[in-house]
Amino acid sequence: MIIIPLIILIIPLIASIFYKNIKNSSAIGAIIEIFMLIPLYLLNPYRGFFYIDTVTFIFVLMVSSIYLLSVLYSRKYVRDIKNRGISENMYYLLMNFFYVAMEFALMVNNYGFMWVGIETTTISSALLLITEKSDTSLEATWRYIIIVSAGVTFAFISVILIYYSFGTLTVTTILAEKISNTLTVRLAVGIALVGFGTKVGIFPVHTWLPDAHSEGPAPVSAMFSGVLLPTALYVLYRIYEIFPMRMIFVWAGTVSVLFAAIFLSYQHNYKRMFAYSTMENMNIALIGMGTGTEIGLIGSLLLLLSHSFGKAGAFYTAGDILHISGTKEINAISGFIENKRISASLLLSSFAVTGTPPYGTFFGEFLILYSVLSIHFYAQFIIIVFSLFIAFVSINLNVSRMIFRGKYEYNKSSGSIISLISGIISIATGIIFLVVINAIL
Amino acid sequence: MNIMYTIIYLIAAFLAITGFHIQSEKYLRSMVLGLAIQSSMIALISFIFGIILDSYTFIILGILVIFLRVILVTYFLINKIPRSLSYVYESKVSTTYMLILDFIFIIISIFIVYSISFIHIVTITYPVKNILLFPLLLFFQGLFLIASRKRTIAQVLGYVEEENSLIILGVFLLPVPIIIESSVFLDVLILVVIFSVISIEKNVHEKMEELRG
Repeated sequence: MIIIPLIILIIPLIASIFYKNIKNSSAIGAIIEIFMLIPLYLLNPYRGFFYIDTVTFIFVLMVSSIYLLSVLYSRKYVRDIKNRGISENMYYLLMNFFYVAMEFALMVNNYGFMWVGIETTTISSALLLITEKSDTSLEATWRYIIIVSAGVTFAFISVILIYYSFGTLTVTTILAEKISNTLTVRLAVGIALVGFGTKVGIFPVHTWLPDAHSEGPAPVSAMFSGVLLPTALYVLYRIYEIFPMRMIFVWAGTVSVLFAAIFLSYQHNYKRMFAYSTMENMNIALIGMGTGTEIGLIGSLLLLLSHSFGKAGAFYTAGDILHISGTKEINAISGFIENKRISASLLLSSFAVTGTPPYGTFFGEFLILYSVLSIHFYAQFIIIVFSLFIAFVSINLNVSRMIFRGKYEYNKSSGSIISLISGIISIATGIIFLVVINAIL
Repeated sequence: MNIMYTIIYLIAAFLAITGFHIQSEKYLRSMVLGLAIQSSMIALISFIFGIILDSYTFIILGILVIFLRVILVTYFLINKIPRSLSYVYESKVSTTYMLILDFIFIIISIFIVYSISFIHIVTITYPVKNILLFPLLLFFQGLFLIASRKRTIAQVLGYVEEENSLIILGVFLLPVPIIIESSVFLDVLILVVIFSVISIEKNVHEKMEELRG
């Protein structure tokens, strides 16, 4: 049954063959990818060259969905860009490669190839950041490449040490072995935290994140926030499973969440604000996974799933606002309440990313906090709750200002429906979770 | 056989010297050539291991290093150095000052990383375990080069130097399967090409107001 993951990887490549009409072929390919989730779900669990379990499936679901939304959103957005750094067709080609690299990293059953997949995401996504060409976007792209590549290179030491310890890089073989508490294995897991953590957005190696997110085009920022960082987190989680270093992972996440909240409190650029919100959410998910409990893992998956749609919606809306207003400054935006669709999608998505009930992010955070308490990490619990409060107030206050303050002085463009759909799906994840839990109980 | 291991040790020590040479160079072209020599040394170590251990993996690895690192990477980088004289070297860098900083950074980093963790790792391919000092030294050299230089090409060199340190670390510990190693090489090669594309547009990297906070 290796054929199903293979088809998932091949479809976007086939779509890329029709280069002259790649805009349409990519959209068709992205829709087929959503249908391919059904056989993939039925295949679960699968162990061979690929490794598919429920955790993998949820990540693949996220990546496929956000890819589809981004491809659809890009159709108008990329066409309207005046000063393009790459052509429209090249944009879709790179987008397809970027997607395939993420899916490969998620599904492959080998730590070495996972590393290759993560590095390939950097290669394929770097030039996407200069779609809207400017001196700033070039600098942001450069910082992204150099910081992330240096970090992920560090992570390769972890791969070498895993191979040194187990004599294989096959994920399922290594995870089937009894946990080996050797110095080399601990070192491998610790180095992976710093190395892959660079791409996840762990403090202090997160510095590329706000630059890349703020300067990239909206659909690419959505892909970065919604699925690229979770993909790196997935690889980190698979390495964590070898030897769970609970204390280090939870503390790394806690400190990062605290700093993300501090950074959020003084943001004046709405795209950077959403970027720091991503840093906050990724690290909460890391904490959930780091607790090593089943509830923590469920919480993280729910948070990531809901966040991916919510944050994609936030960046699509940010793209619409930028298109209409021509500025990224929060203080320069006013009166968006008069633009019903944009204000609705902005509110929906900002509530989603700040963990407001009944969004999936709220239940995810709740489960993660519960799991933190269940392992008696009280200090971390207090810091996380405090940080979540700061982040919630900072983001929602800024969004409220953009919507309710002052007069609307822009044209009447209504923005994209995709932004609204993303926000609605995010709230739907929470409601579906409630229904499922109710049915189980 | 001991003489062969001594030769490997000497070449590894020479790797460290090439690292300091690249750091102390002002001329971009010389820096690129320094890196090509460093990569050649790594290929040589790999070939010697291939002969000593009678393993074809090391030989393939050596060939890959020669082809991808020594020839292709050098070719791309040399071609991207602008002809204009003002771009040939980094005029504002005080090399003596940088070299002293480099020494301090590397000694502290290696002291922390090696003495806490790597000192306990037993190497499989090489009989003396302190050989791991050299790849670590090269790794931190690469990091420092990235942090200390503003020119795009100098930072690329730092990155490739970091990658070189990983190959040599793998060689001393246990080389990962060649198919993965090849993929890593190709990834790095494509990254270097992307670096080159960006370096056409942006040669120097300074702090920008829009990217603060």
